[in-house]
Amino acid sequence: MRRFFIALLGLALLALYTFSAPVASAQTRVPRINFKERTLPNGMRVISAEDHSSPTVSINVWYHVGSKDDPEGRSGFAHLFEHIMFKSTRNMKSEMMDRLTEDVGGQNNAFTADDVTVYWEIIPSNYLETLLWAEADRLAGLNVNNENFLSERDVVKEEFRQSYMAPPYGKLNLLIDQKSFTTHPYRRPGIGNIDELNAASLENVRAFHETYYRPDNATLVVVGDFDQKQLDAWVDKYMARIPKPATPLPRVNVKEPERTKEARYTEYGPNVPLPAVAITYLAPSAASDDAFALTVADAILSGGTSSRLYQSLVYQKQLAQSANSFVDLREDLGLVQLRAILASGKKPDEAEAALLAEIKRLQSEPVSAAELEKAKNQLVADRLREIETNNGKAAAIGNAAVILGDANRVNTDLDRLQKISASDIQRVMRKYFSDTNRVVIYYLPESMRGGK
Amino acid sequence: MVAMKTTLQRIAVVVLFLVATTPLIAIAQQETPPAPAAPRSTTLPKPVERTLKNGLRVIVIERTVDHGGMPLISAQLLVKNGGEVDPPEMAGLANMTAALLTKGTQTRTAPQIAEAIEALGGSINSGGRWDSSVAGVGVISSKTPQAMEILADVVRNPSFKDEEIERLRQQTLDQLRVAMRSPGQLARFVASRVVFGDTPYGHLLTGTPESISRIKRDDIVRLHTTYYRPDNAILIIGGDIKADDAFKLAERLFGDWNNPATPLPAFKASGAELLSKIKPRVLVIDKPDAGQAAVILTRPALQRTDPDYFRALVTNSVLSGFSGRLNQEIRIKRGLSYGAASIMEVRRDVGPFTATAQTKNETGAEVAGLLMSELARLSSEPVADVELTPRKAVLIGGFGRSLETTGGLVSQVGALALYGLSLSEINNYINNVQGVSASDVQKFAGSRLGSKDASIVIVGDASKFLDKLRQQFPNVEVIRAADLDLNSANLRRAGSTEAGNQAVKP
Repeated sequence: MRRFFIALLGLALLALYTFSAPVASAQTRVPRINFKERTLPNGMRVISAEDHSSPTVSINVWYHVGSKDDPEGRSGFAHLFEHIMFKSTRNMKSEMMDRLTEDVGGQNNAFTADDVTVYWEIIPSNYLETLLWAEADRLAGLNVNNENFLSERDVVKEEFRQSYMAPPYGKLNLLIDQKSFTTHPYRRPGIGNIDELNAASLENVRAFHETYYRPDNATLVVVGDFDQKQLDAWVDKYMARIPKPATPLPRVNVKEPERTKEARYTEYGPNVPLPAVAITYLAPSAASDDAFALTVADAILSGGTSSRLYQSLVYQKQLAQSANSFVDLREDLGLVQLRAILASGKKPDEAEAALLAEIKRLQSEPVSAAELEKAKNQLVADRLREIETNNGKAAAIGNAAVILGDANRVNTDLDRLQKISASDIQRVMRKYFSDTNRVVIYYLPESMRGGK
Repeated sequence: MVAMKTTLQRIAVVVLFLVATTPLIAIAQQETPPAPAAPRSTTLPKPVERTLKNGLRVIVIERTVDHGGMPLISAQLLVKNGGEVDPPEMAGLANMTAALLTKGTQTRTAPQIAEAIEALGGSINSGGRWDSSVAGVGVISSKTPQAMEILADVVRNPSFKDEEIERLRQQTLDQLRVAMRSPGQLARFVASRVVFGDTPYGHLLTGTPESISRIKRDDIVRLHTTYYRPDNAILIIGGDIKADDAFKLAERLFGDWNNPATPLPAFKASGAELLSKIKPRVLVIDKPDAGQAAVILTRPALQRTDPDYFRALVTNSVLSGFSGRLNQEIRIKRGLSYGAASIMEVRRDVGPFTATAQTKNETGAEVAGLLMSELARLSSEPVADVELTPRKAVLIGGFGRSLETTGGLVSQVGALALYGLSLSEINNYINNVQGVSASDVQKFAGSRLGSKDASIVIVGDASKFLDKLRQQFPNVEVIRAADLDLNSANLRRAGSTEAGNQAVKP
């Protein structure tokens, strides 16, 4: 369903956009996305790419505000706010976005990540002008009443329960951020918690919109079946008239201190069938040069069932029922995560040792040419699948423009990833995967409390 | 003998989004949205097909790079039987058999298969479903022949090594342990038993810990020999490949695949009659540590080939989707859930209609009541056209989007081919949906989707909602999670007693 808050999935998605940006391998030409970019006088960035292969258009509006910008004592607010953006605006009744999209065969949704909030629509192309008007309208101003606000807040609390309370490993997803950062607001899970959601008010909504929802904090991406001149005229008509506020945009500038020694945590859950182990390392920003080598290393560790973690922990040693790595890089800094859910009868320290052995192996031995080529081929294919649809292309462009700071990286990152060598991988493995940069979390069934 | 060639009619095809322009809702406001322009048309891809002389049906859907496609292909080999042929005591056999295809052949080990396909930038998957078993590959189109060779090898020459069977058995057991802890998944397992009892769709597709432990190599080999044969299979290839090249490849890789001398076991539909003997239930699985209650309404519905199929789809669309009635009532109006939805699952035999929502334990009974009353309202009052038109647009738009990717295209065509339906139904989809009227919906709901034959399943902390549930449904049964037996139609472990009426707590 829509208006998902995608904590893990969102991160995975961003990681994918950022890093699977691959390359033409010997035989495969990754089609270039030909886009046009301009900035309106009010500061809104507009990026568009024509594609007439189906009579649809995808619109993405990327606001450069995310969960890290949650007000103090209001953890979860950016995401709650995202839900509120579907309620009444100056000129639209609640849920009118659904009338303009779903009711004519289109689709809409939004997601909140640490650094951004993204709203999107896929519509029959003859509705493009209508939706540009609608996106402009909710950017220009909300008009939400308290009854709508309270009922949507209840929906978000149910989302919290459905995503984090009901599933057996939901709480582990919260623990990763809570235990991995000491200072940066990334330590607060984007879904928030019931108490801080209960404390959120309509006044908070008004202030948040005024602070962050402004044209100079928005990137509009349009991909699909449109005429460039016509699009420009509509954008000038509906978007350019929104004034740019004189007040400065607040930005998070908290620095997460370097880790100086390993930290270990053991946590318990009431509904955990099998123990889990998570290991995180602080990693650089998504836009950094080292992101490319980390991405290839990640594919070697856990891309597919021929990957090293699967072959070692799941297949050969049968220590784990799943073992994965995630390059979870964000705007300010990131994490590399390793996770294993154990097989029955196995001990967390065995899985931890096996995970660390694979890290050590990547640090001490260069990967073979064949393994490197395989990882790159996988990343190319991932990229092709990602940009099969208009909405996939729009998301890739938005990520490059907002998170990486340069829309053109949607095309150029491919070549850079292609150039990653075995020694690049060894270098980043040694640089980031040090003993002192490690946080280890054991997530165990309640029945194991007390050392059982 | 020369292979037969059947080319589908080359209909100049339909307009994807030619949904009548819905008048925007008139509301008092300072500014109204600009009206839409004239809709633009598109063409849908046209599948072409041949049947090899061994009976293997080969279907190709071209979407080449020259015509706006990506340099990708997807291929599926469908075997026309799945979990419904599991022997009752061996639930999970078909799924296990299919999953083992990629775990070793006469000439390749499991790691070699993974290594080979992933080196091509591809992936390979296999598994069992209801009515079919599938092995599929997705790969960069320049690597198509290599990937297809591996696909053919895993389907035709699986080795079913004991070591791999044991490994998969342990993995499946662990996955079941995790699934059973999730209220939503557990509720779906229970719902299937409630609707289908001991009939072929009643058990878990993945099996239970007990049935999985019983399966032996001989059982797996027997299922493979019986059902994996060219005259019981369909190969679908879609994406960046020319049809002629695809047919040549199919002939080379599957042309010498022989049928066994024994005839294929015949299918006989029996669902409707058998299911009518199964009584609806209101069943609570008491799981005191559940972080939320999973609520399901379910009942038998119809076969894929039923003439009412499109009426069923449109009826379901009135209930389901973001702005469908269930989500309107449960999420949008009352904030009781992150989302409520329903699905009309159609199969070779009668499949289930299922409506679901998760909610805090305290409101489990209220959500069950809303699911039930919304189902009943479909037959008690007609749907206004201003509501019906957008719900049809949702179906048509969703169908169009499902064809955007090569994987989606292959799946949609495969679903038609599996049930022997004309592949041109892709081109008739819009007309079929548009042809359903408000009175069709009301009639269908009244005659085939009545609420009195519907069951309710709730998995959650019963102490928080049981009293309220009993006020609405006097015949509530309660089974403690520890006493649940998914192997039996009554779902209660032998020797256990009704929970909730007991003085002794577990």
